[in-house]
Amino acid sequence: MIAEAALSTAVAGSLLSRWEARLKLPGLLILIFSFAIVQDLRLLAPLIITAALVYYLSGLPLSYLFSRLKLPGFFLLAIAIILPFWSGQSVLWQLGPLALRLEGLLGLLLIATKFIGILTVAVALFATTPLAQVTVALRSLGIPWLLTDLLLFTYRYIFQLARDLQRMRTAARLRGFVGGSLFSLKTLAHITGSMLVRSHAQAERVFQAMALRGYGNTSLPLPAFQPVLLDFLLLSIAVLLATGFVLGQYIF
Amino acid sequence: MHIPDGIIPASVAVSGYAATGGLTWLSLLGIKKQFTNPRNGIPKAALLTAAFFAASLIHIPIPPVSVHLVLSGLMGVMLGWFAFPAILVGLLLQAVMFQHGGLTTLGINACLMGLPALVAASIFRLRYLFGKEKPLPNAILAFIAAFLAVAMGALMAALLLIYAIPVYIDISAERTAVLALSLAHLPIALIEGVFTAMVVLFLLKVQPALLESEKL
Amino acid sequence: MTDALTISNLSFAYPGQDPVIEKINCTIKTGEKVGLVGPNGAGKTTLFLLITGIIKPSSGQILVLDQPVKPGAFYPSVGMIFQHTADQLISPSVREDLAFGPHNMGLDKEEIQVRIEETAELTGITALLDRPPHHLSAGEQRLVALSGILAMGPRLLIMDEPTSDLDIRYRRRLIKLLGNMSDKTLLVASHDLEFVIETCSRVLLLEGGRIQADGDPTEVMGNETLMDKHGLEVPHSLSATWHRHKK
Repeated sequence: MIAEAALSTAVAGSLLSRWEARLKLPGLLILIFSFAIVQDLRLLAPLIITAALVYYLSGLPLSYLFSRLKLPGFFLLAIAIILPFWSGQSVLWQLGPLALRLEGLLGLLLIATKFIGILTVAVALFATTPLAQVTVALRSLGIPWLLTDLLLFTYRYIFQLARDLQRMRTAARLRGFVGGSLFSLKTLAHITGSMLVRSHAQAERVFQAMALRGYGNTSLPLPAFQPVLLDFLLLSIAVLLATGFVLGQYIF
Repeated sequence: MHIPDGIIPASVAVSGYAATGGLTWLSLLGIKKQFTNPRNGIPKAALLTAAFFAASLIHIPIPPVSVHLVLSGLMGVMLGWFAFPAILVGLLLQAVMFQHGGLTTLGINACLMGLPALVAASIFRLRYLFGKEKPLPNAILAFIAAFLAVAMGALMAALLLIYAIPVYIDISAERTAVLALSLAHLPIALIEGVFTAMVVLFLLKVQPALLESEKL
Repeated sequence: MTDALTISNLSFAYPGQDPVIEKINCTIKTGEKVGLVGPNGAGKTTLFLLITGIIKPSSGQILVLDQPVKPGAFYPSVGMIFQHTADQLISPSVREDLAFGPHNMGLDKEEIQVRIEETAELTGITALLDRPPHHLSAGEQRLVALSGILAMGPRLLIMDEPTSDLDIRYRRRLIKLLGNMSDKTLLVASHDLEFVIETCSRVLLLEGGRIQADGDPTEVMGNETLMDKHGLEVPHSLSATWHRHKK
């Protein structure tokens, strides 16, 4: 589901992109959930190593991961500022009113590691799986067709919408539009409304054109499921690792 | 109000998915009742979902800060039952394409934003009692619907964070922080209320059929 | 008399890509009606975005009405009509849409009303004032978009493919309208070469990001070798003349 062509060539042929989506999706999602279960600090190292391994198998450059982590990283920053100084009783180090607390620091470590681990696997998963395959995988897992169709249409519209919106904003700016007032909120509302009106007409037309070409025939089966041994092997490994984390958390 | 991965316990995340599953099932039932062919609702839903997706990227400068709209109220107002699956899809795309929100928390986030959207939908439907073409009842109901959608969502998120965060965190400090955060959503709720009312008034003049989420 | 537009050594390239505009120099005098022709991808739209301050040049300078263009600033004296009219229509009624620009200029309510009425009168859309612009025909929408710009009282009018979606009637109406605007400077990009002949007194041929020719429309566009070389064709009206001369 990445738009950059350069990345597509990077992932092509990697182990993760060869893994059949219908087994990859549940496998990696189970792994992600097992990460979410982790509360024991001793499991953090295996967690991050597993995540790194998955990412390595995706063939994606590290720079891509960093670019994906930038935005949500701000959330981590906020936690990093709050937790170590507010949470817990055991003070490690004091500078005037500021006290660095052990529990808070460990809490930060836990959250940060889980966050990065989950995101890393998620990025690897979706960057190696085209939307069409994601949709098929979701359908095979029992997700209703209404949702997956909605997913496909919406994905398409996001880019169209972004382009149209950009042009409308430019046109509005050229006529003196400036933010920060009730009038500008009204303008935004009008632009939104205008976008909805014109896009809707177009959306209906596209939809009808598709219907004329046979779309809507729910009896059509999914593409043939032809997994190979590798797919099952990778699934087993993922499930095994996930089980390991769950057991590690609850038993040891 | 998007809860990211890693902070809430897995049990809460799983419950979130269960609740979302239930609400999705309910919504699909509602959709089947409203549409002769549910597929016909997809173009409009996809448009609004794209708008929902984009809303988090568009910053509105309201000096001294800049906020982004949630649009859960508008989704409810315009889509009715479709709003829930639409928000679910929107959240999935946000999590996958921009790492905004979370994958393990997709279920929870869908409930936090989708349920208020459905509430907004039912509030807005009251317009049929007052005359669906009359601007004033439409505007007022749209405002209330959107305001409540954001406020409810923020409140639910706040309660969730307070009661679900692991024990080692200093409870009182965290509670204050969370409550402060939810109060910060009040101006956003007001802005969205006004914004949604304005969009509804616009559509009432230009294409009132878009406000119908009934039988198509 | 100030020059309407002065472009010196203008270049523009998107980061890491080949230049879209390369070292363009050009002066347009007040009141001139200039046509900009060239194949797709020549850089016409990019040039307009630079002139209106939407994007920043990589190098060079643009003076509009003797003032340097500051990217991002609001210049009501420069009006631009986009190729896709729908991008410019935002309000629930034509009247409100016409009021948008003047409102942002800080004009008071009465002045805005006067401008709306006068502009609508000029472009002939008075009957449409209370209708939503979204459901009007392409021609009507084009006139509404034009009116929205004219209501701001621009001295330089820039148009990007104004006849692309017009039927014969509205096209004729637009030509007549532009013919009546002797006080305004016009810069119009168009594939509709006949339109350029009827409307403009000067033509710039843009291709590969450079101005390849600059002069009288008949001379520039009647030059078969020149037109062929830059991905264009001599318009029929001129080739008929040319054939007649040949005979």
